[in-house]
Amino acid sequence: MASVSLRNLTKRWGSFVGVDNQSIDIADREFLVLLGPSGCGKTTTMRMIAGLEEPTDGEIWIGDQLVNDALPKDRDVAMVFQNYGLYPHMTVYDNIAYPLKVRDTPKENIAPRVQRAAEQVELSGFLDRKPKELSGGQRQRVALARAIVRTPQLFLMDEPLSNLDAKLRVSMRAELKHLSRELKITTVYVTHDQIEAMTLADRVAVMKDGVIQQLGTPDEIYDDPQNLFVAGFIGSPAMNLVNGSIANGVFSSADGTPMVNIDADDCSSVTLGVRADDVTAIDKGQGFTDAVVYAYENTGENTLLTVLCGGQRIIVRGDRHLRKEQDEVIGITLNAANLYLFDPESGLRLRDTGVRDNRSR
Amino acid sequence: MTRAHFKKTHLKRSLIKLLQTVLILLATLIMLVPILWIFLAAFKNHIDVFQLKLLFTPTLQNFLTVFEAPYHLGQKLINSTIVAFVTVLIAIPIATMAAYSFSRFKLVGETAMLVTILATQFVPAVVIVLPFFVMFRDVGLLDTRIGLVLVNLAIVMPFAIWMIKGFIDGIPIDTEEAAMVDGSSRLQVIRNIVLPMAAPGLLTAGIFCFIIAWNEFLFALILTNREAVTLPIGLALFKAEEGDLWNLLSAAGIIIMVPMFVLALLIRKYFVQGMTMGAVR
Ligand SMILES: Nc1ncnc2c1ncn2[C@@H]1O[C@H](COP(=O)(O)OP(=O)(O)O)[C@@H](O)[C@H]1O
Ligand SMILES: [Mg+2]
Repeated sequence: MASVSLRNLTKRWGSFVGVDNQSIDIADREFLVLLGPSGCGKTTTMRMIAGLEEPTDGEIWIGDQLVNDALPKDRDVAMVFQNYGLYPHMTVYDNIAYPLKVRDTPKENIAPRVQRAAEQVELSGFLDRKPKELSGGQRQRVALARAIVRTPQLFLMDEPLSNLDAKLRVSMRAELKHLSRELKITTVYVTHDQIEAMTLADRVAVMKDGVIQQLGTPDEIYDDPQNLFVAGFIGSPAMNLVNGSIANGVFSSADGTPMVNIDADDCSSVTLGVRADDVTAIDKGQGFTDAVVYAYENTGENTLLTVLCGGQRIIVRGDRHLRKEQDEVIGITLNAANLYLFDPESGLRLRDTGVRDNRSR
Repeated sequence: MTRAHFKKTHLKRSLIKLLQTVLILLATLIMLVPILWIFLAAFKNHIDVFQLKLLFTPTLQNFLTVFEAPYHLGQKLINSTIVAFVTVLIAIPIATMAAYSFSRFKLVGETAMLVTILATQFVPAVVIVLPFFVMFRDVGLLDTRIGLVLVNLAIVMPFAIWMIKGFIDGIPIDTEEAAMVDGSSRLQVIRNIVLPMAAPGLLTAGIFCFIIAWNEFLFALILTNREAVTLPIGLALFKAEEGDLWNLLSAAGIIIMVPMFVLALLIRKYFVQGMTMGAVR
């Protein structure tokens, strides 16, 4: 178990920058999630920590050791690969036992540890099979068991659930969470799935184009996004972002439709952020402004209304009994207590415009 | 789809199937007839050879004669076996190392090297056999098995490197990286992961090389004359003044072919595995 520290870590291929001068301190036993869209440099960061990719610049510390020049085998980490990286010619037992065998663990210790790891991921009945005789979920468990059979200083997991079907992903997510809290080993977990990130992480690092946009607890990331990218990436559905202006305490969308009263300074160009939960749909004429239903979706546990208002689409979450028709005119009201303002140019959050935003801190 | 229409397409399909079968049979026949001819001739007396009748008194005498003076096929058999085996035993480990490097590392001038290696395959043997002769004469390698092994290595190595590289390319790099993170050194990765996974491929490549070396004719013809003569050259001995001794030639031919058949039978399973390994994963 160890803390991990990345200092000014950079990876370039020619002129292409994969990871751009990033620093991050991961506490001992922390579960840190690297979250971002495909191609933002998550895997590259993780591979540099594992020693599979050489940093162009910067330092990697595991515990009190600078590991830049250490071989992967000497870094004492365990990794779960996106495609599992199982050994197809070995049985499940031998797959799980491999890290022990290759590290010269005394023979009599191997079998019990393999058994225990297999039990922890509920694989005990499959030890004699070859990987190709297993389902995707079972293969994933083998990869996991192979990682937990030792007690490494650090776990690295690269989108371990992304190859599973949706249902299995949800149950494996819970198992992973359970396991991680039980093992209490420092973990770096890569995903592009924000729900996975929110549910598993102690802290989330949201990445884009090789740069960490925001680092914080799931609550901080959700409640207090620092820029447009984070605001638009976190949450399902993502935060509504409406371009417009503020004059005399009223926010109007770009085509001049007043949308909400806001206690902020005048501003000719601003992006308003509001989550689907903070928009209420009511009958025509009853809300702050009227909107046309573009699409009505019933997900079972609640409903999603996409409405056209001020020339832009806004997603509203309603309760599961809400019923609206397409093209129906309804009224909507934005919750003035939960609004976010961003500079459309820089994408940065505007905090000092006088907006009374009870979530800002 | 109407029933009539269904019947029609059904008929069409059976026709195509029939045509396929006939064509395959025809192709097989064209390939097998010479072998069958040889097979029959090997058991015939000299006088029966050119009569195409299937009924004759079979004799094993030809198989004995070829091992006696002046033919001494036994020694050629030993030469061929040693040369082919030693060639494979040297070629496969070296080719595997080269192929692994080409597949997994960024080498300086990698493409150039690979293309050059491939290009050597396109040099007609007749063009270089003379320089080889002169070279071998000067260093005393003429008519030696070592000389033949060297020549065969030059012939099979490019082929083996390319073939094995293909197999290693087919091993997901993830698997190797997982093994490294799990605690293996590069050598352990190769021993524990790459070699077992590439084994069917290595076996396939080894057999191909064996066949090439076993059948090699031109270099052996020019570079040997007494001591290191191999089986294919031995066949030429049966061109006598009184005409070709087809019955003896056939018997020797079968002795050349039988190991190939046995090999093919033995390794059939691995062969298919090797050829399709990329798809299995
Ligand atoms: N070996 C490489 N050579 C050049 N570019 C690479 C290499 N590996 C990754 N990249 C690029 O670096 C960027 C980040 O990749 P990666 O870290 O795999 O992203 P992800 O966040 O999806 O895991 C991508 O644009 C990818 O194309
Ligand atoms: Mg990735």
